[in-house]
Amino acid sequence: MERAQTSCLECVERADRAFCDLPSDVLREFDGLKTVVSHPRGTVLFREGQPAREIFVMCGGRGRLSVCSEDGERLTLRVVGPGEILGLSAALAGGCHEMSAELLEDSSVAVIKRKDLLPFLQAHREACLQVVNLLSQDLHFAYDRVRAVGLGRVRRARIH
Amino acid sequence: MLSPYGLDIVESCLTCKTRTERLFCDLPAAALQAFENIKYATAYPKGAVLFVEGQAPRGIFVLCKGRVKMSICATDGKTLIVKIAEPGEVLGLSAAVSGKPYELTAETIDPCQVNFIKREDFLRFLKDHSDACFKVAEQLSEKYNSACHEVRSLGLSHSAGEKLAKLLLEWSSKNGEAAKPEPRLRLALTHEEIAQMIGTSRETVTRLFADLKKRQIVQTKGSTLVIRNKAALKLIATNN
Repeated sequence: MERAQTSCLECVERADRAFCDLPSDVLREFDGLKTVVSHPRGTVLFREGQPAREIFVMCGGRGRLSVCSEDGERLTLRVVGPGEILGLSAALAGGCHEMSAELLEDSSVAVIKRKDLLPFLQAHREACLQVVNLLSQDLHFAYDRVRAVGLGRVRRARIH
Repeated sequence: MLSPYGLDIVESCLTCKTRTERLFCDLPAAALQAFENIKYATAYPKGAVLFVEGQAPRGIFVLCKGRVKMSICATDGKTLIVKIAEPGEVLGLSAAVSGKPYELTAETIDPCQVNFIKREDFLRFLKDHSDACFKVAEQLSEKYNSACHEVRSLGLSHSAGEKLAKLLLEWSSKNGEAAKPEPRLRLALTHEEIAQMIGTSRETVTRLFADLKKRQIVQTKGSTLVIRNKAALKLIATNN
């Protein structure tokens, strides 16, 4: 695990990423809350059943979200990439992680403690709206997975 | 006073007595007043369809009273019940926020009171009220966790027996029954609907219940089911 000092204010990818494209004053505050860490491939960011104490914003690299049965069988929910937030739903719901997150590549991840995240979201409507949008997307993915697993079909491609 | 479908309609959120117990509804006064101004209180009979999977999102539905079956359907007509929504839940939320079609079909299984809010009014309301926005994030988080739980249950359970045992244990963990040695639960769904919740046939569910009763693991008294041997049911749920 290597600590990387990267400021969101200088990030050139920011405008393309759903959560990160925040007004500069909000982003400056977010910058003060986060710690950017470089992790090697194979690192487990969190396991299902663990209490959610942090969220993880993928700055670079890819990860896999999966669920596991009691006998160790694993089912991939989806692969996540830069700009996505991991552990968000568990952190907001205040419970344990419903899934595990493992890095598929060497990745750089911004970590924000739950105790810092909640007041930040309550204070900044723009950030909270981004989170609502991201969670809506996550939920669409999850229902697609329910459909594929439960009914053995994948939803037809949609034209937007 | 008119009482459609036997419901005691709560006309105003400002005077609702159950508001403080509900995740979304417990809003500060200003946000609640704004919500009150954009909502339409409606009553539906049992069996009414609020929205259909694939339909463009018209708005959100806050369930005040009654229960709603949330399901997805295959082209061959096979239906999977994703969850039974309870009072206080907001339905159609992710579709209304994202603008994508409704992912699920919502059908009332009891007479229901529902507060409907048009999508454009709701999005404006979220932008104006950060407390409400935070509550929506919390609701979406719970729904996401529940959907992941559903994927695990459907994808990693090996048999219909295991899935049924898990479902009964989950139901029995509500309403303060979890700690009891012989928890009771009200079976409000038909065997057909239970089959749709665990992705199997009605015949299989009927056979599994008959087997559980024969082994004295469960007992039914009308629509009440008593789990007489929780340890045995847990063993079935964990595929041992």
